[in-house]
Amino acid sequence: MRRRKTSDRDLLAGTLDLLILRVLQAGRAHGLEIAQSIERRSDDVLLVEQGSLYPALHRLEDRGWIEAEWGASDANRKAKFYSLTPAGRRQLLAEETRFTQLARAIKRVLRST
Amino acid sequence: MARRWPWRRAARLRDREAEMQSHLDLYRDELLARGVAADDAAREARLRFGNARAKLEEVADMQRLPMLDALWQDTRHACRSLRATPVFSLTAVLTLALAIGANTSVFSLADTLLLRPLPYPEPDRLAQLVYTQHGPDGDDESQSTDGAMWEAVRDRAPSLETAVAGLSGGANLFVNGTALYVSQQRVSEGYSRVLGVAPARGTWFGPDADRAGGPAVAVLSDGLWRRAFGGAGDIVGRSILLKGEPHQVVGVMPPGFIGTAAADVWTPLRPSPTGEGAGTNYQVIARVKPGVTWAQATGEVLAASAAGFRLFEPRAGMVRELKLQPLRDALAGGMREPVVLLGWAVGAVLLIACVNLAALMLARGGSRAREIATRMALGGGRGVVVRQLMVEAVVLALAGGVIGVLVAQLGVTGLQALGGDRFEEWRRAAIDLRVLLAAFGLTMLTSVAFGLAPALQATRMDIAWALTQGGTRTASGRSSTWTRRALVAVEVALGVVLLVSTGLLVRTFINVRALAPGFDPNGVVTATVSLQDARYRDAVSVNRLFDDTLQRLQATSGIESAAVSLQLPYERLLNNGMRFLDDPTASSRTTNAAYVTPGFFVTLRIPLTQGRAISEGDRVGAPLVAVVNETFARVYSKDRPALGRRIRLGGADREIVGVMGDIEQRPSFNIEGVSGAPVVSLPLVVIPAAQSSDGYFRSAHTWFSPAFIVRARDPGMAALAVRQAIAAVDPQLPVSSVRSMAEVMAAAMTLQRLLMALVGALAGAALFLAAIGVYGVIAHSVAERRREFGIRIALGSTAGAAVRAVTLSGIGLVAVGAAAGLALSIPATSLVRAFLWRVDAGDPITYAGVGVVLLVVAAAASLLPALKLLRLDPVETLKS
Repeated sequence: MRRRKTSDRDLLAGTLDLLILRVLQAGRAHGLEIAQSIERRSDDVLLVEQGSLYPALHRLEDRGWIEAEWGASDANRKAKFYSLTPAGRRQLLAEETRFTQLARAIKRVLRST
Repeated sequence: MARRWPWRRAARLRDREAEMQSHLDLYRDELLARGVAADDAAREARLRFGNARAKLEEVADMQRLPMLDALWQDTRHACRSLRATPVFSLTAVLTLALAIGANTSVFSLADTLLLRPLPYPEPDRLAQLVYTQHGPDGDDESQSTDGAMWEAVRDRAPSLETAVAGLSGGANLFVNGTALYVSQQRVSEGYSRVLGVAPARGTWFGPDADRAGGPAVAVLSDGLWRRAFGGAGDIVGRSILLKGEPHQVVGVMPPGFIGTAAADVWTPLRPSPTGEGAGTNYQVIARVKPGVTWAQATGEVLAASAAGFRLFEPRAGMVRELKLQPLRDALAGGMREPVVLLGWAVGAVLLIACVNLAALMLARGGSRAREIATRMALGGGRGVVVRQLMVEAVVLALAGGVIGVLVAQLGVTGLQALGGDRFEEWRRAAIDLRVLLAAFGLTMLTSVAFGLAPALQATRMDIAWALTQGGTRTASGRSSTWTRRALVAVEVALGVVLLVSTGLLVRTFINVRALAPGFDPNGVVTATVSLQDARYRDAVSVNRLFDDTLQRLQATSGIESAAVSLQLPYERLLNNGMRFLDDPTASSRTTNAAYVTPGFFVTLRIPLTQGRAISEGDRVGAPLVAVVNETFARVYSKDRPALGRRIRLGGADREIVGVMGDIEQRPSFNIEGVSGAPVVSLPLVVIPAAQSSDGYFRSAHTWFSPAFIVRARDPGMAALAVRQAIAAVDPQLPVSSVRSMAEVMAAAMTLQRLLMALVGALAGAALFLAAIGVYGVIAHSVAERRREFGIRIALGSTAGAAVRAVTLSGIGLVAVGAAAGLALSIPATSLVRAFLWRVDAGDPITYAGVGVVLLVVAAAASLLPALKLLRLDPVETLKS
């Protein structure tokens, strides 16, 4: 459980799921691509310990929000690709709304002194 | 969700590893492409990924299903622990498999024969006409009716749709120059309407064809249409040559249609109260019309009785009535009793199996008390232990069930192989899923209930006490031991009932086999032909066929003698009315009758006791003669010698010129003074074929196919010779079957052999299970009392004494069970009484034999585990 905390330190709890879903909205991607995409889009603010991605990915898969299949990468290497399911798409919308509300609420708290 | 099943864990783990490896490889490639040195790239990749093993575990933890996981673990543990005690597991599984398999196959057969609805629409409305009579001459019930009974029901019971069915018989069919022997049934025009099945092509024949002088028409079965005519589309309207006469095909029945008797082709019966219909040669089937109750229809039939018996001579004090019987019961006919008997036997085996299983599970529970105590002492919850034991019981039951299905399949196939030749309906039998599930459910229940009982008992026990006791003691205590002993005694008792039944059936079979047939069957070959044929309509042509063929046969070297007879010994014969001419007051009596050629007596080596045999001189023009058998003389001519008396039979007056020895036949009617048996010697009259009339041949050949009988040193050669001789005389006459006389005799005893084999197999299974039960109890008590015997031996007793004590307790156990079983057998054998012959149901030899067999088995089953005591080292035992 100690290691779980490590990954949580880098990212706000629960946000990793949201980020993964968001990245996959653009189309299917393998684990490395997802990690790099998150880093790139956050201008390297959010650094993902790449291994931590997998528990999250498998959790999402179990819940039926994403699905995985083996395929070939650009460099023609074997890789497992993840893509959003229709349920995942709905989940992404819900999570986004919730997160926006949360972020707004936190901002309001921070402003009021 | 499929990915979460526990048994896919290993595969999933491999998948995760592969995925992580691919991630590392991809990243390293990327770093290399950016110009990072190879070593640095690999290290950097691992660094950024983090602890791979930890991630894998994290994923695995996340994906557990707690309930399912526990169950999976329990199942694996159960399999391991069952493998650790192979003797117990194998015994339990085989017990289960035997019980489920035997039950399912026999009950499936019973279901097919007795319970499953007939393959016709609204089968509950179908009936068969029966008549019953009560009176001074005894009671009788028959499904055979005559033309007058049919007309009475047809005209006076408006609630019924009726039809007449005759017996099916052999007939010759010519297609493209080839002769085929087919099975033909003559029925009336309403047959298809009553059964409710219309032809798939064409129509059923109508009333215009079903009356005297009507056109010759035929309806084919789907099978014959395909086999003989290649399924030709233009079959309806075609003319076929059946029985030597052109018949127009009017219809083809749908595939799978089964009539009331096995038949390939149906032709009009043309029922009437005269001719054939003057005797009870018909079966009347009926359908209760819609909107009418069964009771209403029965009432109408009963009211029609008086009109129905107008052909019978009125007798004082005789009550005759017409009744309706459900068609299913009528068709199941003589099969009800054997199937019910088998059902009981199988039920007994199932019960024994359940009892055995219960005893096995109890023993196992007892011997595992220590293990259970240990587990609970280490903190294993009561629920966990109970669940574990239950899973074990279920795993056992499932394994038994799977093998049981295989046994059931084998059983059904075996039953069909045994009885399918003789009993057409057996071929329809298939494993019944409901029966299978019921048998499976019952054994599953037993397994779990008795698997669990000791578990619950064990979990209530004093853990500390159980642990401090030596390993040789059980915590389940005396009560469980007594329960086991009682269970085993019950097993033995049930087994005894089955053994006694088997013994009685075996004795019957031996009696039937040892029966002097009245002739010498060795070296005799028979060949049957159908002469229900336009070319053999008169006596001259029939006799020419017989004479020419026999002449050829007698000219063949190696053939000792040859003859023709209307029917064979051990088969059913034609029933004829007969009266003595010197006693005009006496009523007509029923006798078996057959025409034969002069060689009949020599070929079958039938002795003559008085007078002479039929000779070549008994031809047309010579005085008409007959030879009767001893039973005829004894039963029908009590007061004066039969020899020389004149009788009227088949419309001709004949003098009895000889009395022959009795030969055994299948019974075709009941008379006083002749006991019911698989084969009996009924009154028989034989007449010369050369002195038989056109009409006698024609009516006899409608129902029976005559047989050539050949005696030769080499039966194989005789079979060929008889085929060749018939083919040389009439190339268009198909031979239906060539069999040795021994085969004919064996066929007459099919039911006896079948019952003996099946009940015997079940009794063997029961004995085996009971032996296992005894062995188990004794082995367990040996294990339990090791310490005690160790002390005794140390104090001066001998190992032999210990063995004797244990063995005797086993034999005592069996003796108690056997006594109960023998007492139980006396009422229980009423089920087999109907199948016994010349054996009393209380036959002392059988009972004594069963007693001896049991004693031997009990001694063996007790001695084997007891012998372990001989290797007992008292010092070792006391130390431990």
